[in-house]
Amino acid sequence: MTIFLTAGSIYLVFILNEDGPLRILFNLLTFAGIYGLAAIGLNVHFGLTGLLNFGHASFMGVGAYVTLLLIPHAAGREGEITDTGLTFFPALVIGIIAAALFGLLLGLPAIRLRGDYLAIVTIAAAEIFRLLVRDLESVTGGVYGIINFSESLQIYKPEFLINFSERFELNSSQMWVGLLSWISIFIVLILLRRLTNSPWGRALRAVREDEDAVRALGKNAIWLKLQSFMLGAGIAGLAGVFLAFNYGSLQTTTFVPLLTFYVWAIMILGGVGSLTGPIFGSIIFWVIISETDRLAQLIFENANGQQLAGVRFILVGLLIMLLMIFRPSGLLGKKEELLLDVKSS
Amino acid sequence: MIEQFGNGLLLGIIISVASVALSLLYGVTRIVNFAHGEIIALGAIMTLFFSNPIDSKILFLDRFAPLGMNFSISIVIAILICGIFGGLLEIFLFRPLRKSEVGNIAVLVVTIGLSIFFRHLYLLFATGRVQNFPLELERRQTYLFFDMTPRNFQVLIAGLFVMIFIGLFLSYTKIGKAMRAVRDSNELANVSGINSDNIILFTWIASSMLAGLAGIFQAIINDVRYNMGFLILLLIFAGTVLGGIGTSFGAMVGGLLIGIFVQVSVALPFMEGHTEAKNAVALAIMILILLFRPQGIFGQKERIS
Repeated sequence: MTIFLTAGSIYLVFILNEDGPLRILFNLLTFAGIYGLAAIGLNVHFGLTGLLNFGHASFMGVGAYVTLLLIPHAAGREGEITDTGLTFFPALVIGIIAAALFGLLLGLPAIRLRGDYLAIVTIAAAEIFRLLVRDLESVTGGVYGIINFSESLQIYKPEFLINFSERFELNSSQMWVGLLSWISIFIVLILLRRLTNSPWGRALRAVREDEDAVRALGKNAIWLKLQSFMLGAGIAGLAGVFLAFNYGSLQTTTFVPLLTFYVWAIMILGGVGSLTGPIFGSIIFWVIISETDRLAQLIFENANGQQLAGVRFILVGLLIMLLMIFRPSGLLGKKEELLLDVKSS
Repeated sequence: MIEQFGNGLLLGIIISVASVALSLLYGVTRIVNFAHGEIIALGAIMTLFFSNPIDSKILFLDRFAPLGMNFSISIVIAILICGIFGGLLEIFLFRPLRKSEVGNIAVLVVTIGLSIFFRHLYLLFATGRVQNFPLELERRQTYLFFDMTPRNFQVLIAGLFVMIFIGLFLSYTKIGKAMRAVRDSNELANVSGINSDNIILFTWIASSMLAGLAGIFQAIINDVRYNMGFLILLLIFAGTVLGGIGTSFGAMVGGLLIGIFVQVSVALPFMEGHTEAKNAVALAIMILILLFRPQGIFGQKERIS
C-alpha cells in the first residue's frame, strides 16, 4: 500500500512536470533523503521510546554547526576564512557525537518530565540554541551564516556521478549529497533493525508502553530513555550536516521550529514506530510539498512568493492534524504498536 | 534599567493576559494549546481588518478591502470573533476528540498542526508584511518612573482591570466556581450536576477572547504580523510555567514577571550587545523552573514526571 503510494507520487512528478522531471525528481529525492534521515532519528525518540521531542531542529543544528566549524569554511559578515581544519569524515563523526552529547545534556535534566512538559522544554531549548547561535557571531557567523565549506565533501565525489549528472543536465554536487544521505539511511536502518530486535530495543519499547513495569523488572528506565535520546539526536545531527551541504550555506533561520514540524509531519505520515516508514513518508511528503507550490501559483494568482510558500505550510499543518486524528500510527504504522494515550494524572 | 522596566511591564501585561487564558484552558481541559498564539494573532488581524481605512490595499490578497470602522468597535467585534472561533474549535474539533478518548499527547500534536495551519492561512490572507493599527503616533510621557505613550499606559491599566475582573469572576460567580470544579475533578463536577461539556465550551470561548485581547494589546504596543502569536507563544508558556500550570493567579504574576525579566535582561551588563538573546533568558528561566520547582511559584504539587 505505502510502496504503491510512493511509486504513485513519484509518477505524479513525471506527469506534472513536462520539462525536466528528472531534475525536479532528484532535487526532491535529495530533500526526501535528508528529511527522512531526520525523521528516522525522531522516530527513535517518539516511535520507539515515546519521548515527545519538539526540539529536533536543534540536534540537526548542533551536528551541522560543529561539523562545518571543524572543516575549512568562511563565516560571519566579513566572510572570515578559516582554511585549516579537519577533513570531512572525522569532522562528521565529531559532529554526530556532539549532537548526541547535546541530546544527553538536554536529556539529563529533562527526560524525567511528563510528556507535555518535555515537549515544551525541548522546543524552548531548541529556540535557546538558535538564539545563541545567532548571537555568538564571532564563532558561528551569526545571522550571516557559514559559507564556502562544500569543497570538503565534494572532493570525494565519484567520477560516475559527474558523468551521469552531465548526461542528464543535473546538479552533480546535489546528487552527491543526496546519494550520501540515502546511503546513510540504509546504514542507519540496518543498525536500527539490529538494535530494535535486540534485548535493548525490546526494553525501549517496554519503556514506551509501561515505564513502571520496566522499573519493576529492574531496568534503568531513565538511562534507557537517555540512550534513545542520544541515538536519535546523533542521527538528527547527521541529517543536519547533509542539510547544510545541500543548501551550500548554513543559516540560523534553517533551524526554526518549523523544521522540527516538517520532520514530525514526515514521521507521522510514514508511520510512528515504523522503521522504514519515514523513507516513504519523506518521499510522499516532498512530492506533495513541491506540487502544492505549483498548484498554489495557479489558485492565488496575485500572491507573492512568501505567501505561496505559506500554502505548503497550510498543508503541512492540515496533514499533521488529520493524520493524528484519523491515522495516528501513520499510513504504514502498526496500530497495536502505538500507545499515544498518555493521560495526565 | 528603569526605562526597560516600563517596557517590561508592557510586555508583561500582554504575556500575563495570554498566560491566564492558556492556563485556564489547560486547567479545565488538560490541553497544552500550541494554537494559542494563532488565536492571539486572530484578535490583532481581525481588529486591523475592521478598523483599517478602506483605501489601504495591503490586506487580504487585495480582494477583501478593510472595512474602515471605528477602532473601539473593531476591537469588540474582533474579541467576539475570537470567542466564536474558540467555541467552534471546541465543538468541531476538541469535543469529538475528547469523546473518542484520544490521548493528551495526540491532542497536543493536533494543536501544533492547527497552529501551523492557521498561521500560514493568515500569511496567505493578511500578507507577511508588518502592519500597524490606524492610530496616531503619540509622544512618550512620564508616569511615576516609566516613560511610555499615553496609549500604552491605557493598555497597561486596561490589562490590570482585566486581571482583576478574571480573578473576581473565577472566585465569585457560579460559572467561575463551576470552572474551578471541573478543573479539580471532571467526574466529581459531573456528579454534582455540573455539565462539564458546557463548562469546557465556555472555557474555550473565554480563553480565546482573552487571547484575542492579548493580541490586540500586543498589536497596539508593537505591530501586527501573521506570526506574532507564535513569536510570543514560548514566552507565554514560560509565564504559565513560572506561575504554576493551571493556576490563574499564578499565570498572571508569572506572565508579568517573564515580561519584566525579558526586558530588564537587555540592560544587564553581560547582555551588552546581545539583545537578540533576551528571549533565551526567559526560556532558560522556564526550563530551570520546570526542573527544580515544576509546580511553579503558586502551583500545587502534582505528579509531573
